[in-house]
Amino acid sequence: MSVPASTSEFVRRCPIRLLLALLVIQISLGSNATCAAGDDTFTTKIAPLLQQHCLSCHGPDAQESGLRLDSLQALNTGGKAGPPIIPGKPDESLLMMAVRRADATLQMPPDGKLPDEDIAVLQQWIAEGAQHPEGAVVPVQPALPFQPAQARQFWAFRPLQPPALPAADANPVDVLTERLLQQRGFVRNPPADKLTLIRRASLMLTGLPPAPAEIDAFLADASPTAFATVIDRLLDSQQYGEHWGRHWLDVVRYADSNGLDENIAHGNAWRYRNYVIRSIQHDKPFDQFLREQLAGDLLTDSASDEQTRNDRLIATGFLSLGPKVLAEGDEKKLMLDIIDEQLDTIGRSMLGLTIGCARCHDHKFDPLTQADYYSLAGIFQSTRTMESLKRIAKWHENSVATTADRQRLEQHQAQIAAKKAEIDGLLQQSSAAGSTTAAGQPVPENQLPAEIQQQLAALRASLRELEAAVPELPTAMGVTEAEIANARILSRGNHLAPGRLVPRTIPVVLDADSSFRISDGHSGRLEFAEWLTSTRNPLTPRVIVNRVWRWHFGRGIVATADNFGHQSEPPVNPPLLEWLAADFVSSGWSLKALHRRILLSQTWQASADRSNPAEQTDPDNHLQWRWSVQRLEAESVRDSILAVCGRLDRSIGESMLHVKNREFLFDHTSKDLTSYDSLRRSVYLPVIRNNLYDAMSLFDCTDGTVPNGDRGASTVASQALFLMNSPLVISAAEHLARDLCSSSSDFSVRADRLPRAVLGRQLSAAELDGLQQAARQLNIQLQADGVPEAERDLAVWTSLSQTLLMSNEFLYIR
Amino acid sequence: MSEFRSHRRQALRATAVGFGSTACSALLHAVSAADSGTSPFHFQPRAKRVIFMFMKGGPSQVDTFDYKPKLQQDDGKSLPFAKPRVQFAPTGNLLGSPWRFRQHGQSGIPVSELFPHVARCVDDICFLNSCHGTNAAHGGAALKLHTGSDNFVRPSMGAWVSYGLGTENQNLPAFITICPTLAHGGRNNWGSAFLPAQSQGIPLGVASQPATAAAVRYIANPRWSSPAQRTQLDLLRALNEQQLQQNPAEMALEARIQSYELAFRMQTEMPRLQDLTQETHETQELYGLHDKVTENFARQCLMARRFAEAGVRFIQVTHSDAFVQWDQHGDLRKGHTKNALEVDRPIAGLLTDLKQRGLLDDTLVLWGGEFGRTPTAQGTTDGRDHNPEGFTMWMAGGGVRGGMRYGASDEYGYYAAENPMHIHDVHATLLHLLGMDHERLTYRYAGRDFRLTDVAGKVHHGIFS
Repeated sequence: MSVPASTSEFVRRCPIRLLLALLVIQISLGSNATCAAGDDTFTTKIAPLLQQHCLSCHGPDAQESGLRLDSLQALNTGGKAGPPIIPGKPDESLLMMAVRRADATLQMPPDGKLPDEDIAVLQQWIAEGAQHPEGAVVPVQPALPFQPAQARQFWAFRPLQPPALPAADANPVDVLTERLLQQRGFVRNPPADKLTLIRRASLMLTGLPPAPAEIDAFLADASPTAFATVIDRLLDSQQYGEHWGRHWLDVVRYADSNGLDENIAHGNAWRYRNYVIRSIQHDKPFDQFLREQLAGDLLTDSASDEQTRNDRLIATGFLSLGPKVLAEGDEKKLMLDIIDEQLDTIGRSMLGLTIGCARCHDHKFDPLTQADYYSLAGIFQSTRTMESLKRIAKWHENSVATTADRQRLEQHQAQIAAKKAEIDGLLQQSSAAGSTTAAGQPVPENQLPAEIQQQLAALRASLRELEAAVPELPTAMGVTEAEIANARILSRGNHLAPGRLVPRTIPVVLDADSSFRISDGHSGRLEFAEWLTSTRNPLTPRVIVNRVWRWHFGRGIVATADNFGHQSEPPVNPPLLEWLAADFVSSGWSLKALHRRILLSQTWQASADRSNPAEQTDPDNHLQWRWSVQRLEAESVRDSILAVCGRLDRSIGESMLHVKNREFLFDHTSKDLTSYDSLRRSVYLPVIRNNLYDAMSLFDCTDGTVPNGDRGASTVASQALFLMNSPLVISAAEHLARDLCSSSSDFSVRADRLPRAVLGRQLSAAELDGLQQAARQLNIQLQADGVPEAERDLAVWTSLSQTLLMSNEFLYIR
Repeated sequence: MSEFRSHRRQALRATAVGFGSTACSALLHAVSAADSGTSPFHFQPRAKRVIFMFMKGGPSQVDTFDYKPKLQQDDGKSLPFAKPRVQFAPTGNLLGSPWRFRQHGQSGIPVSELFPHVARCVDDICFLNSCHGTNAAHGGAALKLHTGSDNFVRPSMGAWVSYGLGTENQNLPAFITICPTLAHGGRNNWGSAFLPAQSQGIPLGVASQPATAAAVRYIANPRWSSPAQRTQLDLLRALNEQQLQQNPAEMALEARIQSYELAFRMQTEMPRLQDLTQETHETQELYGLHDKVTENFARQCLMARRFAEAGVRFIQVTHSDAFVQWDQHGDLRKGHTKNALEVDRPIAGLLTDLKQRGLLDDTLVLWGGEFGRTPTAQGTTDGRDHNPEGFTMWMAGGGVRGGMRYGASDEYGYYAAENPMHIHDVHATLLHLLGMDHERLTYRYAGRDFRLTDVAGKVHHGIFS
């Protein structure tokens, strides 16, 4: 006797009793001797359980959620949520999750929990391999919606392919841009003049215009290395770290407050900000910089000193800085939203991939499946970002106390103890001096001699002072490892519809040689960071060098700086991107080396002149035949105004918030108490989500809610209002005017110094003429406006200074 | 002709001078012209502009515009069905409304005694009794209402409208928000997120300030008289034009020259529009400008009408003091009485004024809070908790049928029951009234086409006139 040819078809039509009978017959025939014992379990224990509790909804008559449990094939394919049984792994099996009813989102059978002994039977059956009379349970892995090998042919996923270059010592940047120009018959613009170059280099590398003395030195230096000297000086400066650190802060959505629903202070975020500035300034190898931000907490053992150790903890603030719905009542949803925000940020900032798109469904355009998403999510689910999810939720902070901090605390506590001892001593002394009552009790203090009472009061006052000033040990936003657990795929991203578990790993398309492994007991975060910065991942170096290119030229070789997927703009010059990325890696991931490559090229130094015939066919300068004029970024607008007016405070800032860590910036009131009066560089001013400082938001600064490596450069009337009417601009102009007025009373001297300070040059004769006329008219008008004569000179020059600060020449990098 | 794909949005970002102006509306024209061939809109627009009256904190539907006789009957009894899975705070038994309801107008729609003036306008109002959202906390719900998303930063609905339609007046922003609240989403509630910067709302003051202090930032110069500033701008213009000669064809440089001129004109235009003394005494009275209690919100509403007249597309007024105004977890009787008194007459004044000027026909007025309140009592018997499961908003004018109740909540007013209208649906319907298809008003960002309604939203045609 043999079973019907199409067992499953037959089984589907069989009433369960007949099916069981058939199974028994099959077993008795010993068709599969090795699983006879298991078959027995199934037949005698499992099948009746399924029949009694499950098959009415998951059997021949109904298939709730697409699931039926009445055949091996059905068990293998499973329903919408995936296969219900993973042999040998009861804890990962959806069936067990359902019958245990531990998770509110999946509880079966719906009419009540199974008896514990039945659950135990199911558990044991699965633990022992889920033997089934029809054969082995082998859950079907859903087919990938793409062919990995084919998907890896997309330009962004291919290994780096740097082009071969001639041995000549021409700058490869020029060689590779020139190849494209030649194809079109274009000729690159000649280099800009020296004044333009030093202004461009200073603003690009430090966000500040050059000082007149720096301009003079460069103009006087006729050596062939004059410009290289300028670049070295600029790259060595603290201002370089501040300006380029700020670029990275855009990408990692840095902010000093949570924003979103409950806007509370990231009181310690500044430590991360300053870590970024330090790292960029010291040219920390960028791969190391990235590893620290993803997994610095797992790299502390190898830290050579305390500062390095703390920096690595601080670096993981990267993962925690995102906006969170802190008042979300649904804690599970909150946690998943936080992980989603982390994946989205990591994807866009470091990989140029919109991983977040695969939360609810396979990515519509890129080869990223929902399984890929939850494989990565598992890594971050096994990472502790939050200390508590209870409303209002609290993020985790790591201690970054140094030995010195701890010593300071101990000393302080010792002082408190000493003070207390002193008080006790005095009390004892006075009782030893016989100040006891007749009953032998100590005399109440208010009956002690006045002198003693005074001493006590003074001691207690200083004790209170000490106690109020106990130094707080510093902490920093950041992460640590959590209980390790794989994530379940959530149908449509809905945490109320959990599906199968997926192992923690990286997306299939990115694991080209299938070599990604996570060590036992690890979340996988460190392994992920190592893979991300390894030669196995070509995306990250491409993304970074393209960002740098974007920040120099105003548009990336890939125009969509945060997206390298199929919806991106393909690279305008692929060989250039490949070469830059490969060179970046081989030069030890040095940003400064990359800057030198770029700034010393004729491409970067080309003039902005549009009279080139290339203008006719490439007016947007995609092929980089000229310099593209760019508006100063928000920070540079403010910092440059303060700098040329002699107002900029160049010291490093720490926290500038007016509220403590985790306190509300805005509670129910709408009073803005944040102060932006500091004259430090803008990078140190608080970044308040939901209410960014207007001097920043007006000029397209990001508000730190999502990664943004491609700021806009709008021209709107409210910017004009700010430059015309804000006290910041007027008072800076007055400061400069005061300096001019006190230096000389001679118009021509002032008219020489003013443009040199603001624009770095002297005015033409026509411009001088205009300035003089305006000065005269202003004088008359201000007199008519009732400005007293004693103040008028200063007022006129304040107005003239402000005018230059508002000029296009000042606001644009040419 | 350029041989490269034009980066229109990039160009827009760089060249748009004003506050949204023609550049953006041109975009819509271009997009839909490609779609349909002729019309600048996806549909025939019924409304040209929106005035949104935001009641911060969540007014109670069962005490205002959603009369529930059964709730009155069963006052004190327990709710006979389950409360939501996620609640903001635990609540107790049913709490009947302390206010009486009376039928009004030809339509006979019941309105509580909290809104006697609005009650006289019921025949112009379409009450949406089946609104529902997804978030039970103020921040999330306010963001959901304003941006369609409570967990991501997305453009606000005003920004979408201004992105889609641009402004009717080159000297004014397309989107103005008067005295908005900085808590619970703050700027994101009027922000442009990834849309071009000029589509963001221009805030006039904040909720902690009186409406008299509401002004565009930096609209007035603290130092120079207008003629002195003119002299300064003339010099600037001369310098900039010389600069432009060296870099001809730099559109951004040219645009900036114009932006100063526009700003200079705005300095007179905005204060003129905000000057309510230009209104007749009768009009001022109509809004309640002379009564201390109603003066502040009256000022906002009257400014809104003046902005609407002048061509602003989306005007939001916010009823919120420095606290969460309508958030009566306790003190319901006192709080709702005070709040309603402050807004009732100004709201009715605005509706009446718009109507008598013929503006109501193409101005869509939207009223509501970020959620409603529970029909069950919180604490003692004088408070209600947040309720996003079912609440009432209303619309008037702009192609909406007046004198009707659309949708319904359950018999106690807890859940949206009949024709449920999710916040996404409110957005979809609002865009439709303005002539835009919520599925086609998209913006490509981070590799995806985003919409105000994300992947949801249904237009409720049943409310159209």
